[in-house]
Amino acid sequence: MKLAGLKSVDGAHEESIWAAAWAPAADHRPTAVLLTGALDETVRAWLPDDLAALGSPTRGHALGVVSLAAHPAGSLAAAVSLDSFIRVFDVDTGASVATLEAPPSEIWGVQFHPKGNALAAAGGGSGSVKLWDTEKWKAITSLAVPRPEGARPDKTGSGKFVLSVAWSPDGRLLACGSMDGTIAVYDAVRMKFLHHLEGHHMPVRSMVFSPVDPHVLFTACDDCHVHIYDAREKGLVGAMSGHASWVLSIDASPDGLAVATGSSDRTVRLWDLNMRTSVQTMSNHSDQVWAVAFRPPGGAGVRAGRLASASDDKSVSLYDYS
Amino acid sequence: MPETAAEANLRRQLEQTLAAEPSSPLHHYNLGVFLWDRAEAEQEGDGEEARKLRAEASEHFLAAAKLNPNDGVPFRFLGHHYARGGDNQRAVKCYHRAVTLNPDDSEAGDTLCGLLDVEGKESLELAVCKEAAGKSPRAFWAFRRLGYLQVHQRKWSEGIQSLQHGIRGYPTCADLWEALGLAYHRLGMFTAAVKSYGRAIELDSSRVFALIESGNIQLMLGYYRKGVEQFRSALEMAPCNHSAYFGLASALLAWARNCVTTGAFGWAASLLKEASEASRICTSLTGNLSCVWKLHGDVQLTLARCFPWVDGKIKRVMDAQMFKNSVQEWRNTCLLAANGAKLSYQRALHLTPWEANVHNDMAICLDLICSMDDKNRFNPNVWELPEKMSLGALMLEPVNKDFWVTLGSMSSYLALKQHSFIRALHLDMSFSEAWACLGKIYRQSGDKQLAKQAFDRARSIDPSLALPWAGMSAENYHQSGSSPVNESFESCLRAVQILPLPEFQIGLGTIAARSSNLLSPQVLMAVRQAVQRAPHYPESHNLNGLISEVRLDFRSAITFYLQARFALGMMYNSMSDNRQAFADVSVNLARALCKAGLASDAARECEELRCQGLLSVDGLQIYALALWKIGQSKEALSVSGSLAENLSGIKVESATAAWGFICTLTYGISGKDSAAAMIQKLPDQLNYNSQLKFIISALDALHPTKRLQLPQLNMPPKRTAYEVMSEVHSNIALGKAIGVGFDKPLRVDGSLSYLKKVLHMYPDCSLVRNQLGSLLLWSGDWMASHKAIRVTSLSHGHTSSMGLRSPHHIQACAMVSCYATCCTYTKFSFATCEHQYLSGPDAIHHLQRWVHCEPWNQDARYLLVLAIFQKAHEEKYPKHTCVILKKLIMQVLSNISNPHEKEAMQYQVFLLLLLSSEVCLQSLDYENCITEAKEALKLTPSSRVDTFFANLQLCRAYVVHGDLLNSRNEYMKCLRNHTNTEIGWVMLKQLESACSLEGFSDEIDIKLHECVKRNGSDSSKWTSLFNLACAQCFLWGGNFESAEKALAQACSQVDPDSCILFLNGATCMEIARRFVAPQFISRAASSLRKAQQKSHASLPLVSLLLAQAEGSLGSKTKWERNLRLEWFSWPPELRPAEVYFQMHLLSRQSSAAVSQQNQLVETIQSPELWLLRAIHLNPSCPRYWKALLQQIYV
Repeated sequence: MKLAGLKSVDGAHEESIWAAAWAPAADHRPTAVLLTGALDETVRAWLPDDLAALGSPTRGHALGVVSLAAHPAGSLAAAVSLDSFIRVFDVDTGASVATLEAPPSEIWGVQFHPKGNALAAAGGGSGSVKLWDTEKWKAITSLAVPRPEGARPDKTGSGKFVLSVAWSPDGRLLACGSMDGTIAVYDAVRMKFLHHLEGHHMPVRSMVFSPVDPHVLFTACDDCHVHIYDAREKGLVGAMSGHASWVLSIDASPDGLAVATGSSDRTVRLWDLNMRTSVQTMSNHSDQVWAVAFRPPGGAGVRAGRLASASDDKSVSLYDYS
Repeated sequence: MPETAAEANLRRQLEQTLAAEPSSPLHHYNLGVFLWDRAEAEQEGDGEEARKLRAEASEHFLAAAKLNPNDGVPFRFLGHHYARGGDNQRAVKCYHRAVTLNPDDSEAGDTLCGLLDVEGKESLELAVCKEAAGKSPRAFWAFRRLGYLQVHQRKWSEGIQSLQHGIRGYPTCADLWEALGLAYHRLGMFTAAVKSYGRAIELDSSRVFALIESGNIQLMLGYYRKGVEQFRSALEMAPCNHSAYFGLASALLAWARNCVTTGAFGWAASLLKEASEASRICTSLTGNLSCVWKLHGDVQLTLARCFPWVDGKIKRVMDAQMFKNSVQEWRNTCLLAANGAKLSYQRALHLTPWEANVHNDMAICLDLICSMDDKNRFNPNVWELPEKMSLGALMLEPVNKDFWVTLGSMSSYLALKQHSFIRALHLDMSFSEAWACLGKIYRQSGDKQLAKQAFDRARSIDPSLALPWAGMSAENYHQSGSSPVNESFESCLRAVQILPLPEFQIGLGTIAARSSNLLSPQVLMAVRQAVQRAPHYPESHNLNGLISEVRLDFRSAITFYLQARFALGMMYNSMSDNRQAFADVSVNLARALCKAGLASDAARECEELRCQGLLSVDGLQIYALALWKIGQSKEALSVSGSLAENLSGIKVESATAAWGFICTLTYGISGKDSAAAMIQKLPDQLNYNSQLKFIISALDALHPTKRLQLPQLNMPPKRTAYEVMSEVHSNIALGKAIGVGFDKPLRVDGSLSYLKKVLHMYPDCSLVRNQLGSLLLWSGDWMASHKAIRVTSLSHGHTSSMGLRSPHHIQACAMVSCYATCCTYTKFSFATCEHQYLSGPDAIHHLQRWVHCEPWNQDARYLLVLAIFQKAHEEKYPKHTCVILKKLIMQVLSNISNPHEKEAMQYQVFLLLLLSSEVCLQSLDYENCITEAKEALKLTPSSRVDTFFANLQLCRAYVVHGDLLNSRNEYMKCLRNHTNTEIGWVMLKQLESACSLEGFSDEIDIKLHECVKRNGSDSSKWTSLFNLACAQCFLWGGNFESAEKALAQACSQVDPDSCILFLNGATCMEIARRFVAPQFISRAASSLRKAQQKSHASLPLVSLLLAQAEGSLGSKTKWERNLRLEWFSWPPELRPAEVYFQMHLLSRQSSAAVSQQNQLVETIQSPELWLLRAIHLNPSCPRYWKALLQQIYV
């Protein structure tokens, strides 16, 4: 299990890069495409093997792009900018398909349902997760994060501040991470709140479910730790430490054996889930790493694992994961 | 089926050809085949008709074979004929002949082998296949048959070769793949086997054997999940297959064990329940297999060992009985499972009494039951049941080292224990578990040296064994000093990670509490798991409470402490034994209650403890605090008095902490004077630690007369800790700012100069820098924003939020407050600020970065809104920016849920509403503009926020709307409501003419000067700005003369702005033009010259006007020079047509005069080209066309 640097593009955007996501291979396109979003208010697409830019940067955002998510079918993606509009666009042409908003709440992390029939968005200060259907782009529902009885008050003073969302690979669970470190888990079929996961005490900025085990949730938190939860049985089953600063993003490898994290300490780390330790540290970025993403499996003749990372230093890096 | 006409025809033809040439084997053969097919087509395959046909056909085949004995096909048919007739002997011969003649004949070969197989002639069959395979590589049937036979005979490697060859001929034969998988499996090539089985399953999804076998392999390789999937699909196919059930149960058991090692007990329990069900079904299918019962026993035993206690069912309000019931229920579940295991092991033992393993398992199970059942009392005269069972195992297998270790662990006699472990070590010197167990008993008997040696040895033999790590941890824990404690923590953490036993976990929690590692997630995880596995231990609940408390979750902490007390109550020891523990937990509880804001409950707890005489120093502090919080100050003081009396005998560190508490409490109750008195009475030998020093300096800062002199402030800095000193200095600086009294405004200057000195001493202290930055911003200095940015150090990424404001906040405030922030957009305006440390887009990007880093920070969002508003203002309110602004404002407003909470919040809301109103005004939405402004106005009366600006905004809105009456009203309200902000008055002045209300000008002037005086700001600057506003009013009214006067006054102030000078010059020029008053031209020239010199970046148009003025005054060279300057003062893409036209004039002049100096700007192209470009840029100007005409005619 190791990472090997393949290619790094400096100045991939004009400003800090904050988001990265892989649009999987589709019928009309044989390979997956890497999407990056940045403070320069653009989204760009990159080819997976040599990071060649695919087309010109697409505009359409008024402030920096904070989050990206790709539809599992590979043709659509959603980008969120600080002005809290979700722009759903066609990956190949960059043309907008829909613009979603849920005033007055802001939007942070977004994630498509693994079957692709819904889009979930973390609703920031509104303390809720918003859901849209992906056919007509109509709002389905808004799941409020209940405050645990007698919990400590947030700094915002207005309930939970929701930063991140994640769907389990079987689509049964939906988790959302808040700034006080608690994680709310919902039954995504019946749209019911199940329980809170405890253990973090600082903002949880990124979460991902294990692709092989729909129970298992990995979380990245500002308290410098990565936690492994049993999301269904409500238990903390692992904690991995090693980053020197905030852990900003996390993604699980498609084989389910490793996770990668990006951090404010300017490194990308690879963690072995069996050993529960960091097995490799990549320090090629010169500023905080806001996004890491493993390429999803599938596509023509694609066996090799790929990991992409994007950073405040305006560069995008691609690694071989094997 | 009767013969059809076509067939009859064919038959006739065939018979005729045969008759024509009776010696041709082909004709015989053809007719034979035809007859044979006819026979096959008969409805009754064995009917009379068919038999007749076949007999006929066989005759022809026989003839064909006789005529051409080298053709195998007739022999095959003959074989078929004999086989059908039941004459296997002759059939075999015929087939054999066919195969010998043509080894590729798979039909004959297969049938031959089938016949041989039926007769049990395996060696013959093998020989036939080998012969055929040796003759032709294309005899795939032979390879296939050979492969099967070889697999049957367990010749795996040969079988693999044959099967692989066979697969080339029959790639979609699932049997072949399955056989190949089996061969690989038996040879131990597991991945290859899994692939082969997988292919077989792919070809035929109902392959139960392949599914089960590949499940077994997955299990062996550790892929439990895949194994479980495969067994499940096998069960779908064959619902009564006991080996599938056995496999499923063992896979689930292995998976659950894996979960247990990570501590996922709930998950493991749910898996085990499933496993138990599967193994139960398996026992019902095959009840006489010992291994099935053993598996069932293993599953139950594992369940008994990992079933978690869950407090989810318990409500927040819980009493001792409920807790007891819940723990009892958990214990019963575990016991039930253990008893189930006992029964199953007994059955296994009954079936196979010679299996030593089962004896051993039985012993372990019995030991677990004994340990769970409290009613068992130790009886030294009787052999314990577990011991007996393990002895039984040893009798069967006396050389098994594991059994010796089990015996040692079961036994309750020290001598026997030691003997057993040593016997195990006799059998294997490097048996790490035995060493570890030996170490444990040495430790228990107090022989530390031997224990350490044993643990060391165990650890070096097998570092993945948990017990030696735990043992080493316990060794280190009892040594003094911090590094052994840390080492102990690390060792214990290792032990817990290897094996999550509650004993280890509680130990880890205890060490963490001592080494301040309670925030570590590993400790949290360990302690939470300890509570699940050992709810009857009070320590686990107590540690859980401590951890929740550290994480500021006080409500949960209270619950956990209560549970700890209940657990203490459940213990069988007498009450007096755990009195101290009870007191400790109660103090913890009281502290948590206090922190959670339930002071009265905390006081009640302490009172109870006091009655029992268990109140320690810590307890007294909490008692005093709780009493003070519920308002019983007198009692609190008396408690703190008794605390002070008790402080003499205890450790120095806790005594200092207690003194600090007493001082703070005294300050809180009876004010600063008595606190000061208290501090002066402090014992001399007291070691001033950081906390105490901080408290004293804080009290000192608040104390007006500064009587307290901190004894160690004067010491050389190296002797005291760095952070502490910076905090103390920061307090002193605050004290200087507070000055003499609280009712006076802050004396920022004193504090600033002190902080500058401190910064000189501690140049890299972020706290001091941040404080200095925020004070600079407070100071209201014209240049404060620039200074503040340079003072604060902003490292990228993670920044500490120490000090009054975070460095991000200071930077952002400075950016927003600089009036020149957005001026670098050359597209929209030209920079006039001389100190451009920041550029516009950068500022907004920087703010966005801050918002992105701290999404919850409403200040950041608020400042971002302000910055974007400034940008919008600069860009003349483009539509998309207005949309975003409105949205962002709405978001920020919705997040400020309760604006009445804080004054600062209220001001933010006020300002945001005004901004929103302004955005509406700029997008010509008057109604909303007025509503928003009124909303802002409504918000204000309760607070000290100026209503002035809301009224001003309303006034502007009415003016633009054309509502004169209302606008006058608002204007008057503005005049009545004073404001402390100078710019307000200047803006009001601007509105004067719009409301057609001249004559009140003096009033505004007076008020502005009052305001300037009160704030102590730069009066000349404001006077010039005020005059500028007056001049603007005059200009709008067309009163150039007064405007000029006002501007002249503005320019006469000290250091006027270049823009004002420029305006003055322009006005003078205009007057000169309109009223033909040449005396104004020289005035204009002087103003413009000053403006040109002053402006930082060259202002466009200034030079042009100056050129005109100089030209009119008769100086041609100055005219030329200024025109050239004008050319360069424009950014290339923005140069207007007029500049080109002027260059045209210039080039005409200079081309006439000095043509040799070709490096001048105007000479780069001809005058005609200049003119053409001017016309191209602005074709609508008649002057240019006229000039062109002139050019042409001349």
